[in-house]
Amino acid sequence: MDNQKTVIEISHMTKKYGKHRGVTDLSLTVEQGKVFGFLGPNGAGKSTTIRAMLGFIRFDSGRINLFGKDIRRHREEILAQVGYMPSEAMFYPAMKVREVIQLAAQVRGVDCGEEGEMLCERLQVDTEKKIRELSLGNRKKVSIVCAMQHSPRLFVFDEPTSGLDPLMQSTFFSLVREYVDQGATCMLSTHVLPEVRRYCDHVAIMKEGELQCVKAVTALTNAGARRIKWVRDGKREEFLYDRDLNELHRELAGHDITELLIEEPSLEEAFIEYYRT
Amino acid sequence: MRYIYGHEMKQYWKTLLLWAVCVGGMGMACILLYSTMQEEMAAMADSFAAMGGFSAAFGMDQLSIATLKGFFATEVGTIHELGGAMFAAVSSMNILSKEEDGHTSEFLFSLPVSRGKVVWTKWGAVCTGLLLFHLICMGFYGMGFLALSEGIPVKEWFLYQAMQLLLGLELAGICFAASAFSRQNRLGVGLGLVLLLYACDLVSRVVPKMEKLSVISPFAYANASEILGTGKTAAGGALLGAGVLVLALWTAYVKYTGKDQT
Repeated sequence: MDNQKTVIEISHMTKKYGKHRGVTDLSLTVEQGKVFGFLGPNGAGKSTTIRAMLGFIRFDSGRINLFGKDIRRHREEILAQVGYMPSEAMFYPAMKVREVIQLAAQVRGVDCGEEGEMLCERLQVDTEKKIRELSLGNRKKVSIVCAMQHSPRLFVFDEPTSGLDPLMQSTFFSLVREYVDQGATCMLSTHVLPEVRRYCDHVAIMKEGELQCVKAVTALTNAGARRIKWVRDGKREEFLYDRDLNELHRELAGHDITELLIEEPSLEEAFIEYYRT
Repeated sequence: MRYIYGHEMKQYWKTLLLWAVCVGGMGMACILLYSTMQEEMAAMADSFAAMGGFSAAFGMDQLSIATLKGFFATEVGTIHELGGAMFAAVSSMNILSKEEDGHTSEFLFSLPVSRGKVVWTKWGAVCTGLLLFHLICMGFYGMGFLALSEGIPVKEWFLYQAMQLLLGLELAGICFAASAFSRQNRLGVGLGLVLLLYACDLVSRVVPKMEKLSVISPFAYANASEILGTGKTAAGGALLGAGVLVLALWTAYVKYTGKDQT
């Protein structure tokens, strides 16, 4: 498996919605075989980026290549190798689950029978039910089957676990890991930070339409701010500190320090710090 | 694309069957009723033909309501024209916008299919539906004629059906284009448009000063009384209708392929 192969390459992409901000000058790359977390507060531009990546919307400038091909010129060819799971997971209400899964496979022109059956079994999908009878969680499961049954080279998941029970969340991530181990790549847009910590290799943080950083998840907690806990002059204090530690040392001179703990912030704190700044 | 086409047909075959059976069945019932009303119709024919603009509006100046052909043209023709036109609007007004209205566009367009292909496939489904609708209705009317052992004027009959199909396609094309602009269910707008254009045709026939209104109404070239009475249609109107259809389809394609998905 060639881990250096670039699957997603976004270069200086800008998308504006009239006068409103969309995404500004976004550049990022995702390598094959990685689980890439895509984070940011609501309205940060995550969905806009995903939609532009899949050719759902046009963008004003820049370039997006998936598998080395321009999405604007090779959309159909690219989407044949992509499994996308939208956050809403909506289907035609009068159709049976089996018919929806079949339709997705037929339009792709591939025989996904065996893989589809395996996925339905592991995710406990009742294929004889009508879509209108399903809860959000069950619709999500159908969406997972539709996104995975053709064993794509790239997965794009938009808040995939909302509505899924913990057991199904675990099954979902096991499946993702299995496909990624076989060479697939996964882009995961989520608000659930423990998911990012547990399953992602790298993470990109978006804020107000701009990319704040792209880092390995482990590096994110090792860089930047530190959590400081101390008892100074009999008073207990706890805060995040992102300046030079020598400065902190000088500040402590002349004070009575009875406790001092400097530790890495949690992933949650690191993200919140990025959101705030 | 055949799977998306099949999916569309599957989604609306019940609507198609319901409309075709209702309109065709009502038409056949009217034809069968003619035998029981034949004498009353003969008595009324002269007075109906002498009502000036009103007679012209319903074509009773060209055909006698006392004959089955005249009765068909004035009674069944109106049901078929309006029913067919309303079905055309029903089958096309939401066909593109329903994907966004029902939030299914993300599913559909995450599949390897272009928006352009979706437009033509959906239009193909609309055309099939309209063709089947007219064939089913023709079947019903044919059965009615056969039951009364009446012959069908073949040339006029097929010209009338062809113009009805063109009328349906033109109205469906306009609604199809409107659907490309919309993100919501706008069925009321489609049905309103049909009734407005029908009213324009009616007014243009009743009020001499409003004669020019017939230019904008496709009902003018598909009028049963004129076609069955003279064996001819307003060729200019039909050509204009075909032009409007092409323009509507082009508009739908350009708009739908160029718009961002919500």
